[in-house]
Amino acid sequence: MADLKRFLVRRAVTFIPTIIGVTLITFIIAFVIPANPARAWAGGIKADPHVVATIVKEYHLNDPWYVQYYFFMKGILTNSIVDPLFNYKVMSYMLARFPITFQLTLFALFFLIVLGIPLGIISALKKDTVIDAFVRVWALTGVSVPIFWLGYIFIYVFFYMLGWITVAGVPYPKVHITGIPIIDALLSGDWTTFAENIKRFILPGFTLGFAGIGIIARLVRNSFLEAINSDYIYFAKMRGLRNRRVFMHALRNALVPVVTVVGLQFGGLLGGAPITETVFGIPGMGRAMVQAIFNMDFPVLIAGTLLAALIFVITNLVVDILYAIIDPRVRF
Amino acid sequence: MSSEARREPLIEVENLYVYFYTYAGVVKAIEDVSFTIYKGETFCLVGETGCGKTVVSRTLTNIVPPPGRIVKGKVIYHRDGEEVNIIKLSEEELRNIRGKEIAYIIQDPSAALDPLYVVGYQIAETMVDHGTVKDFKEGFGRAVRLLKEVLIPDPERRVKAYPHELSGGMRQRVVISMGLSNEPKLLIADEPTSYLDVTVQAQVLDLLRELKGKKGLTVLLITHDMGVVAEMCERVAVLYAGNIVEVAPVDELFKRPKHPYTVGLLRAVPNPLTEIEKLESIPGTVPNLIKPPSGCRFHPRCPHATEKCRREKPPLIRVGPSHYVRCWLYAGKGEEVSRSE
Repeated sequence: MADLKRFLVRRAVTFIPTIIGVTLITFIIAFVIPANPARAWAGGIKADPHVVATIVKEYHLNDPWYVQYYFFMKGILTNSIVDPLFNYKVMSYMLARFPITFQLTLFALFFLIVLGIPLGIISALKKDTVIDAFVRVWALTGVSVPIFWLGYIFIYVFFYMLGWITVAGVPYPKVHITGIPIIDALLSGDWTTFAENIKRFILPGFTLGFAGIGIIARLVRNSFLEAINSDYIYFAKMRGLRNRRVFMHALRNALVPVVTVVGLQFGGLLGGAPITETVFGIPGMGRAMVQAIFNMDFPVLIAGTLLAALIFVITNLVVDILYAIIDPRVRF
Repeated sequence: MSSEARREPLIEVENLYVYFYTYAGVVKAIEDVSFTIYKGETFCLVGETGCGKTVVSRTLTNIVPPPGRIVKGKVIYHRDGEEVNIIKLSEEELRNIRGKEIAYIIQDPSAALDPLYVVGYQIAETMVDHGTVKDFKEGFGRAVRLLKEVLIPDPERRVKAYPHELSGGMRQRVVISMGLSNEPKLLIADEPTSYLDVTVQAQVLDLLRELKGKKGLTVLLITHDMGVVAEMCERVAVLYAGNIVEVAPVDELFKRPKHPYTVGLLRAVPNPLTEIEKLESIPGTVPNLIKPPSGCRFHPRCPHATEKCRREKPPLIRVGPSHYVRCWLYAGKGEEVSRSE
């Protein structure tokens, strides 16, 4: 336990440079863009020069880059910076949208685990059959097909043609516990809101998870095959263990590498969320960032990057802890 | 040798053929192998790497890994006075025999244990799945006693250790304790010492011998090491390229080896019973079994090979009371039999 504590502290310290690095890169990319954000914020070509001058002063736009970076970061972290275009506090705005993106990612993750792992096991057990070929094709299509195309096709088929699902908007339950609509609905037993959320998120979630399902299935297939062909599984059979127990030995060993990849996929899903949210009209963090890019709204962009980076490092930490729990050879 | 007649057989392998159906072709791994293991003895299968020793041992519970298949032959198991043909049993019946009545110890103890479970759990599950203990709690208790029996120090603590926390010798002891956990009728030890240091090898062999004496086990020992054969066994079968070429009691084999291959094997190691000037190796390597040599499979490496050896498969000849050899050199010097003991 003392080991775990020391590990957590050590890892938390490494968070800081990671997050500074990620936000700094985003900031510098935004900084070097040859555009005049102050004028864009003030209303474009016809902007009043006085307003532009005020904005430049307010947002330190004429200061060196490190002063600007410090100003933005401090403003975001203390929630004191106000959006130049829409007059709301940037961090509050992003934090309000974060649960939606998180909910979308949870749906995608759900498909990743519930479809990816069983498909992988089945294709390992039925190696070189139709189902195995199906998973192989799925994995290949998944990584090749762009999310936006897939999203529009799904909307066309399931919304327009079949009318099975609902798109756009997020219904909130009356109770506010975690801020994530579907979890709050579940916790307060608000089944109508729960069902409405499922209807709206099932398709975007599946779209977002589509590529990952194939990847996870292939990975599970390979690591499961490796496990069932290992000496300890053969020896387990030679000891006359029951089939179910032999299977559990193979499964647990096969899942060790899968945990890492699922963790990384989770970060990747957050990265894919902007496109999915834009296609399906989900008012999450990702869509806000896409709009921010169009508006040259740098504070929102950097706040979004900061949150995404934070989630990514936290996910990695959780993966490392899980890893040590399932594999006793891993030490903190 | 009058006691020989009264010995009760435990396993009788009759005219066994095992083929591996690979992409490159059919590997005729085992052809026409017969032998008997008597209750209470230590029977040895000896031969070079790749000659089929391990495959033979796995046919005894019909657990030959794919693409291998038993093509022909019988494995008769004398189960409480009843004769059972292992080849004919269902998978579930076989599962009940494996690890309970016929238990294995395999070569590489590091690979044999699941790295994610404590050794106590793995010993206990062997008993739980065969119903010899009622639950894991009792299983762990028994595991502690078993670890003590295989001379693992501090068994109460070690039962909760993961495989990677134990040394190679200790892991092999854990594997042995698994083999013994259900008090099997036959223990098959497949090269139990080849992955261990020489000093640990001696300890493990001593342990096996002691346990055998204490529990009245029957042991099938598989090895390529003539030293181990001399130390452990009562009867020996010499396997070459999937054929048994000679079967004899251990003293007889070391004193009067008949088959040119056995003679070669014994020249390659220091012989405890006779003095030899210098160690010699057998020229050549084990043949490819997709297209095994015609006639006697040993003829390309045999110093006495004749035209007949190249053309015709030699018969099995009984040259002594329990001494059988499959070689044309002894044609007419004993009685031709269809199978050895």
